Amino acid sequence: MWLPFVGLLIGLLLGFWTEFRIPDVYSNYLSIAVLAALDTLFGGIRAHLQNTFEEKVFVTGFFSNILLAAGLAFLGVHLGVDLYLAAIFAFGVRLFNNIAVIRRILLSKWTASKDSESEN
Amino acid sequence: MKDRMLIFAIVTTIIGFMVAVQFKTTNEPVVRDTRDILQLRQDLRIEKERQQELNQEIEKQIVLLSQLKQRDNIEGAMVDAINDLKERAGLTSISGEGIILEIKPMYTDYGFVPQTVPAHLLRFLINELNIHNAQEIAIGNQRIISTSAIRDVNNVTHVNARRIPNVPLKVYVLANDAENLHHEMIVSESVEYFAIENLSLTSTPINFITLPEYEQPLRVRHLQPIKEES
Repeated sequence: MWLPFVGLLIGLLLGFWTEFRIPDVYSNYLSIAVLAALDTLFGGIRAHLQNTFEEKVFVTGFFSNILLAAGLAFLGVHLGVDLYLAAIFAFGVRLFNNIAVIRRILLSKWTASKDSESEN
Repeated sequence: MKDRMLIFAIVTTIIGFMVAVQFKTTNEPVVRDTRDILQLRQDLRIEKERQQELNQEIEKQIVLLSQLKQRDNIEGAMVDAINDLKERAGLTSISGEGIILEIKPMYTDYGFVPQTVPAHLLRFLINELNIHNAQEIAIGNQRIISTSAIRDVNNVTHVNARRIPNVPLKVYVLANDAENLHHEMIVSESVEYFAIENLSLTSTPINFITLPEYEQPLRVRHLQPIKEES
């Protein structure tokens, strides 16, 4: 259960300790990629809680979402249209939806466990 | 179940890494040092000069401190220090060798005859005087100090917020090497720029002139003493 958090911590430390930086011009793409990754992650958590989780879908979705978002932003820059806004909008809405569903599932689980405790 | 957690862990690791890199990039963007050797040398020289100035300042303060320690009448030393500072700020009249620049209309019989000297010309003149090592400058009876403003108000030039007299106008300049400054001013660009506005600029070296003091109260704004960290 704690493995993902340990992974997050390791990732953060790795990022801060290594002097790895990207040029300023590409920071937009990275931020969109982060958003896409977060969206996939929360989607995965939701699927896990709803017992519809599939590893292959999750892993391929993770990488393809990131690449698609960054590619869309790149295309937008070259077409002169702010296409990255579309990515931000889509991922933002889905992120909120997923978090809301996760919250409801956890809430119903919690109330259920409380009820069973009081019955005992 | 274990595989699933491992996948989640890998994904969160990647997310963490991306977030950290993004955070670092936006917080402290890469600033590349693109100076070449010449620029580096210049910067080094400027820093060395600054160091020298600071050293001189420190030495001066140490001398003052020892004077304060040695003397019985501390007041005397402090008064001396205050007078020295006042002299440097331009609050006392000052005498010495220098030059007098006289500005007057070049032709009075035809064309536009200016009544006042335009502000931009005075600024140009003062810059040029400073380039050629002028010590102290006074325009008319207005002493130029470090905060002096030369402005154009309703087509009349004001120095230190005071109206300067119409042409002919005299500019008094104090210099260590008055002869040299005199020669520099004869061939200076200012003469040409003044001529465009139908004004002539003539320089006369003089052995002894007295410059008036800055008579208005000095207001120090946007400056605060640095609190000593203890």
